[in-house]
Amino acid sequence: MTIRLQPVQVATGSSDTESRLVFSDGVLVAVLVRLSDIHGDRAGMWFLEAGFGPVRHPDPPTFADLDKAQIWVEWQLESRR
Amino acid sequence: MAMLIRKLKSIAALSDEQRQAIERLPVRTHVLAARQDIVRDGDKPAHCCLILDGWICRYKLLGDGKRQIFSFHIRGDVPDLQSLHVPTMDHSLATMTKATVAFIPHESLHELTLRHPDLGTLFWRETLIDAAIFREWMAGMGRRSAFEHVAHLFCELYLKLQAVGLAENYRCRLPIAQTDLADALGLTPVHVNRVLQEMRGRALITLQAHTLVIEAWEELVRIAQFEPTYLNLERRAAA
Repeated sequence: MTIRLQPVQVATGSSDTESRLVFSDGVLVAVLVRLSDIHGDRAGMWFLEAGFGPVRHPDPPTFADLDKAQIWVEWQLESRR
Repeated sequence: MAMLIRKLKSIAALSDEQRQAIERLPVRTHVLAARQDIVRDGDKPAHCCLILDGWICRYKLLGDGKRQIFSFHIRGDVPDLQSLHVPTMDHSLATMTKATVAFIPHESLHELTLRHPDLGTLFWRETLIDAAIFREWMAGMGRRSAFEHVAHLFCELYLKLQAVGLAENYRCRLPIAQTDLADALGLTPVHVNRVLQEMRGRALITLQAHTLVIEAWEELVRIAQFEPTYLNLERRAAA
């Protein structure tokens, strides 16, 4: 499995716009958004704005950095194969 | 018991005899710290809990430490009234703030409702209104946008607080953390924060230091499609 992150801007309706499209073997599996300053303690963390298939989650998590987010996405894809 | 009488009077007229019977109920009053369980999922309580002061919620813990809050309760509410007839709790009850509660023994409540069937009917009505509030929350969770859902909750809480004298001039204490709001709305704290920021940006509300000010009530009601009939507060408004 090859994970690729592509920088993109997402219209979340808030100041959270800096984002990454997450591709697994060329297929879009998630959209991660960097939390802006409006989020206080969570500012700078990465939020699972959208997950597709096995990465979809009813209570979307927030990650300290992109590495941790990527590990979590890989784990979701592996564990539900 | 003035709090319970006030609450019951808000949904129906009480006779002097009924009021005296409520006043004679034996109760034990307790002051509880914030974030303390009162009754837990699986317990078989022998009393019901009348809130005299503070905020209490009903909730359920799911796997992975996830929590769903089902309802918020304020003074005058008896959030575990169902335990009078459904012995085993299927959810928990906890304080959100420091709270004062009065425990009323089931035995005494049973006796009260046998001697005064009209009071039994009133308690039944209270649980039906409770169920109506659950239906609105369900509609919000399943079909309203995050923005509409938060707006609806603020309208509901404001009217409930106003009915017991805890809100006026579109201003009230709202000692609920954003994580609690998220657990009640079925949203993430990120989404709740975005909605609150947008509401502030559109001059609908301000929420600072646990004080909610609704700056544009009519607009909030319109956005939430809030129709307060389900709260059955007509008598309070008329009183």
